[in-house]
Amino acid sequence: MATQSPTREEDLVNKLKARFPDAIKDSKIEGKHRITIHFDKDKLLEIARYMRDELGFDHVKGVAGVDDPTHKKIEVLYFTGSFSRPEIEDLIVVLQAELPRDNPTIASAVSVWESTHFHERETFEMFGVKFEGHPDLRKLLTLDNWEGPPPMLKDIKFPEMGQR
Amino acid sequence: MSQETLQDFAGVWIGKISEVVRAITGSGPIKFMINWSRMYALWPVHITTACCSAEFGAMMGPRLDPERFGLQAVAGGLRQCDLIIVEGTVTKKMAKRLKIVYEQMAKPRYVVAMGDCACSGGLFHDSYSIVNDVHKLFPVDVYIPGCPPRPEALLSAIVKLREKIRREEVFA
Amino acid sequence: MTTNPDQTKPTAPPIAITAAKEPSTLDVSVGPQHPGSGHLRMLMRVDGDYIVSVDPDIGYVHRGCEKIAEYRTAVSNIPHLERPCIIDAIHLNWGYVLPIEELQGIVVPPRGQYISTIAAEMNRIMSHLYWLAINAGVFSGHTTIFMYAFGDRDLFIELAEMLTGARLTYSFLPPGGPRRDLPAEFQDRLLKLLDYFERRLVEYDRIFFSNPLVIARAKGIGTLKRDEAIKLGMTGPVLRGSGVKYDVRKVEPYGAYADLDFEIPVFEEGDSYARFLVRFEEMKQSIKIIRQALEKMPKGPIARKAPLIIPEGEAIGRVESSRGELTYMVKGDNSDKPSRVKIMNGSFRSLIALPYLIRNVHVADMPIIYGSLDYWPVEADR
Repeated sequence: MATQSPTREEDLVNKLKARFPDAIKDSKIEGKHRITIHFDKDKLLEIARYMRDELGFDHVKGVAGVDDPTHKKIEVLYFTGSFSRPEIEDLIVVLQAELPRDNPTIASAVSVWESTHFHERETFEMFGVKFEGHPDLRKLLTLDNWEGPPPMLKDIKFPEMGQR
Repeated sequence: MSQETLQDFAGVWIGKISEVVRAITGSGPIKFMINWSRMYALWPVHITTACCSAEFGAMMGPRLDPERFGLQAVAGGLRQCDLIIVEGTVTKKMAKRLKIVYEQMAKPRYVVAMGDCACSGGLFHDSYSIVNDVHKLFPVDVYIPGCPPRPEALLSAIVKLREKIRREEVFA
Repeated sequence: MTTNPDQTKPTAPPIAITAAKEPSTLDVSVGPQHPGSGHLRMLMRVDGDYIVSVDPDIGYVHRGCEKIAEYRTAVSNIPHLERPCIIDAIHLNWGYVLPIEELQGIVVPPRGQYISTIAAEMNRIMSHLYWLAINAGVFSGHTTIFMYAFGDRDLFIELAEMLTGARLTYSFLPPGGPRRDLPAEFQDRLLKLLDYFERRLVEYDRIFFSNPLVIARAKGIGTLKRDEAIKLGMTGPVLRGSGVKYDVRKVEPYGAYADLDFEIPVFEEGDSYARFLVRFEEMKQSIKIIRQALEKMPKGPIARKAPLIIPEGEAIGRVESSRGELTYMVKGDNSDKPSRVKIMNGSFRSLIALPYLIRNVHVADMPIIYGSLDYWPVEADR
C-alpha cells in the first residue's frame, strides 16, 4: 500500500526531528492548526533560529509558565506563529521545555524573537524562571516593592484566595 | 507693655476676631454662598483606576451631561480639583499613587467610591494584589454599588454628594 | 538639541532603558494620573522637546486574573475573565470558551454561532467607538469626537442590553453557546441603528478622519514598517496598519465568519494615521457582517448543554478581538476548575511597540502614538 504524503504538520515535525534528532523529545499534532513540540531546554536558541529562518515562524504570541509540583517541574511554553508565510499562517506551534522546579533557568529567546521581551519578564516575575541573556530582566506587573514569592506557583496559596 | 503681654494681648484679640468671622461666615447667607459655589464646581481628578472607568466615561458623555452640574473633567493641575472618583479595583501598586494624589488635592476634597471593587473588593476580593477597603486610604463620602454601576447611578451619587456639600459646615 | 529631528531610528537594539543618563536629559514620569486616562505610567527620558526613550511601567491594574482562574469553576471564571477589556467583553468571553468547548467536544449549533457573531461585531463597533472617543479623540485634544462617539456608543449599548441584559459585562457565552436567543424586536431595531450609524460614519469622516489638524498630527508619526511589525509580534489593527494582512477571522474562522463575506482593511504606510484608518474601515466592515448575519440567520437551537467538568488536556483557542489576536490556553485536569489559564492578548503584545516607537519624537507626538496603538492597560495587566 502506498504511503500517503505527509500532511503539512507532519512535514514540519519531521524536518525538526531530522535537524535536531536528540533535542526534540516528543511531538503532538492536534487537529489542523496546533502542533506541540517538547524539546530539550539547552537547545532553545538553535531550535528558535532554525524555526525563524528556515521554517518561517517569525514571532511569538506569548510565553507561558505552567507549574507542576507533583512532577517537580515548571514548563515553559512558547507559542509561535508566522505572519510572513501564508501556507503556515494558521498554525500555532507550541515549543515546550521542562525546567527543574528548584532552579528554573533557560536561555532568553530575545536575541532570536524580539517579541518575547515583555513575556519573559512576566514569566520571570510570576514563576521565578530566570532567562539568561535577557537585556532587562526585572519585575513587570506586581507591586514595585513586592518582596513575596512568585505568585503563580501552585504551592503559593495566598490565605484569602478561594474563600468563596 | 512687655513682649509677652503684647503677644498674649494680640493673640486674644485675634482669637476673638476669628470667632466673629467664623460666626458670620459659617451661617446664614455667606455659608449658603460658599457651599453653593463648592457644589456647583466639582472638578474630578483625571484618574481612572480600573474597568469602571468605562461607565465614568459614559456618564461624562452627551447622554447625561454632568457639565450642567458643574462636573467638568478639566485636565488641569491637581490643586484645582475637588473630587476624586475611585473607579473600580484599587491594586496595591495603584493605592500608593492614589494616596499621593488625594493628598495633593486642596481642601475641601471629596471621594466617591464607585463600583463593588472600590466599596469592598467586589469580584476580585480574594486576589493577592488588591486593596479591599478603600476607606482605609482616605475617608469616602459616597459609595456606589454595582459592577459596573450604571452611569445614572453615578450621576445620582454626584447629586447626593452635592446635597451633602450643601448642608456641611464651612469650617470643618 | 542633540537628537535627530527627523524620524530615522537608531540601529542599536531599542530596549536599552537602563543606559547611562546624559547630563542634558531629564526623566519625566507620566504617571498613572495624567490627563488622558489612567493606569499606565511611562518614565520618559526627555532631551529638550525630544523624547529619548520611554520605559513603560505597567501593573497598576494587575488583579491576578490568571491566578484567580484556578480557584473558580470553569463557568464562574467567565465574569472575571471578561473584565480585563470590559468594552470588548464578548471577545474575551468567546476566546475563553473556545478551548473549553474543544476539550469537552461540544459543537455549538449554527444559530448560536450566528448570534455570537452578531454580538461580537456589535462589540467591535462599541470598542472602536470608545477608542475613537478617548484614545484618538481626548488624547489628541479633539473632544468633539468624544461627545459624538460616546453618544452613538450608548445606542449600541442599549441594544446589547436588550440582547443580553447588561450594559457592558454580558457573560453571554457560557460553554455550549449563547445564553439567550434574539428578542422579538431586536432585528428591526438593530437594522435601523445600522442605517443611522452608516450616515454617522460619514460625519465622523468629515469631523475627524479628514480633519487637516488630525492628519497633520498623525500622518508620518510613529511609523512601524512591515518587517518590524512582524518581528515585534504585533497584532490587530497595528499589524494591519503596517501592511500585513492577518486576521484570525479569515485565517482560522470561528463562529459564523466562514459563511460571511467581508474584507480585511490593510494599509501600507504603518504610521499612526494608517492605524486610525484601519479601525475606521473595520467599523464599516462590521456593519456589513451584522447585516449579512441577520439575513442568513438559520433556525434551530442556540446552545448545547455542556458538562461542568473540564477533561484532561490542553487546548488553545483564539479570536480576533478589537485589539488584536486574543489567544487563550486552557489546561484541564478532570475537575471543574481549570488548572491553568493563560491569556495572550493584543494589548500586551502591543506593549513592546511603546518603547520601540516613542524614540526621537516630539513630546506632543507621544499621545498620538500611544492612542493609535489602542493599548488598553487593564487588558494588558489582566
